Amino acid sequence: MAVQAEMPRRPRSAAGLDLLRPGQWLGWVSEHRYWAYFLIIPSILFIFAIIIYPTANGIILSFREMRLTRPDLGTGFIGLRHYADMLDDPVFWVALINTLKWVVMSVTLEFALGLAAALALNRDLPGIRLISVLILLPWFLPNVVAGNIWALMLDPRLGVLNDIFIKLGFLSEGKAWFADPDTALLIAVIVEGWHGYPFFALLFLAALKGIPKDLYKAAAVDGAGTLQAFWQITLPGLKMIIVAVVILRVIGLVNSPELLLILTGGGPGNATQVLSLYAFHSAYLLFDFGYAGALSVVMFVILMVFCVIYLRVSRLTAD
Amino acid sequence: MAKSLQRTKRIHDWVAYGVAIFFLFFGLAPIVWLIITSFKSEGEIVNTVLTYYPHNPIATNYVDIWRQSAFPTLMMNSLQTTIMTVVICVTVGTLASYSFSQYRFPGKYALLLFYLVVRMFPAVLMIIPLFLIMRFFGLLDTSLGLALAYTSFLLPLFIWMMKGFFDALPPDLEKAARIDGCTRIGALVRVILPLVRNGLAATAIFVAIASWNEYLFALMLTTSSGSRTWPVGLQLMIGEFQLPWGLLAAGGVISIIPVVILFALVQQTMVRGLTSGAVKG
Repeated sequence: MAVQAEMPRRPRSAAGLDLLRPGQWLGWVSEHRYWAYFLIIPSILFIFAIIIYPTANGIILSFREMRLTRPDLGTGFIGLRHYADMLDDPVFWVALINTLKWVVMSVTLEFALGLAAALALNRDLPGIRLISVLILLPWFLPNVVAGNIWALMLDPRLGVLNDIFIKLGFLSEGKAWFADPDTALLIAVIVEGWHGYPFFALLFLAALKGIPKDLYKAAAVDGAGTLQAFWQITLPGLKMIIVAVVILRVIGLVNSPELLLILTGGGPGNATQVLSLYAFHSAYLLFDFGYAGALSVVMFVILMVFCVIYLRVSRLTAD
Repeated sequence: MAKSLQRTKRIHDWVAYGVAIFFLFFGLAPIVWLIITSFKSEGEIVNTVLTYYPHNPIATNYVDIWRQSAFPTLMMNSLQTTIMTVVICVTVGTLASYSFSQYRFPGKYALLLFYLVVRMFPAVLMIIPLFLIMRFFGLLDTSLGLALAYTSFLLPLFIWMMKGFFDALPPDLEKAARIDGCTRIGALVRVILPLVRNGLAATAIFVAIASWNEYLFALMLTTSSGSRTWPVGLQLMIGEFQLPWGLLAAGGVISIIPVVILFALVQQTMVRGLTSGAVKG
């Protein structure tokens, strides 16, 4: 009896639950009618704290002066000045055009490579399964490694690709591909294509496997050729996945400056300067947080407008 | 008719093999070249005559990058950040994805869509305020701060992928477990989680690989060797110290080994998880 009296009193909830025994009160919580919401609440808190709040702050920041190098300017609201400055900023316009080129060329290349790979890998042949796993490898490589592998292979003096091109007679001497404004963006697109196409191949392959084989047999019986079957069966079967993959990739390409940051840093000149990279440079090198915020807001708005139009159009053509 | 069909099929098979082998070469040749370079001496790399395989293969690049640079520290920092990211995503994300998959409640589809849309927010727009917030809370330049930042793009991804694995479970498992006397949380922990453990492992590894590889957030949110991750460290070494190619290649090979091993372990389940959500629409 004495032992029992000396035991410390544990805090008890209104329901008479022992709060120090998680098994018990979690069990009670899990029987609550709002259990489904309870499970989601932690993730909502996280999303608000690390996505919504910073993003909202970033948008507000775009209307303020904030240069870490010029504390004398203060951090007051300056309305739309950053946006007005942007209109007169030649680099912004170059970056806008480059973003367009970068995204269109990269997506086209990745789409073509991914579709070709998926069509080839969608066959029951010995060894094909292994190949379809191995070709995913580049996609799992970090941008830092992917970028530097190609920087090494394309090095004007030591690069193996320059060596091969010289031996084949395409070049008379090693070319500094990333130093030439005419080739820098194009080569970066090829590197991005190498790095990104497995994602397209993976999803296209999964969608191809979902198309019933009977459809092709029926088409063959009706006398349809390979090309006709491709246009009439394969492409319609891939339609949904094409819409989804392209939009995911466009979002990724617009938002992430990583690969270009590693390959070219936006140069030579501004030949590979894209919006995300320019915004990042404004923040990271120039410490002009306000202007960087405005650049990213513009990028985000353009992306949103694109997504809405794109989804409208793709839904229209789907009907 | 049947014969010509058979012949067309055979031709197609050969074309398919040709294309597949092209992609195999295209995909892997650069990686093989990285490995070859990592075994060459600096003299052999800068030689005017390019060698296509290491004539005097050496392992000194590996020894040097490990012993004479901050690489081990960088990798430890990355490991720490990766583990924290995975722990956060697995605990918070599993609960949410389970709820999204198994229960019906008002607002569910709006929330799911919301989790998809937040992935559209540009990282650059988030990084600046995150930088200021983390500085305020003293989280700047810490592994925890970086892991929290990674959660911003990995948590929604985790929830969507994990939801696919929960969706594939047979229905009414929870009900059955509750009839046997489990509470709902008991049913989740004792019955359902063991059934999705492969999917959970694959999704966790996907998140781990992404945070191990991440560059942009790490560049902005870490400033010292105390928490700097290996991608940033490696890139800085290239820029600042004109890192010799051999060492860079060795560093690259070392750092992608864990990625390749983890992927190999769960590739089948991971591919299923990545494709199921997308293919269903």
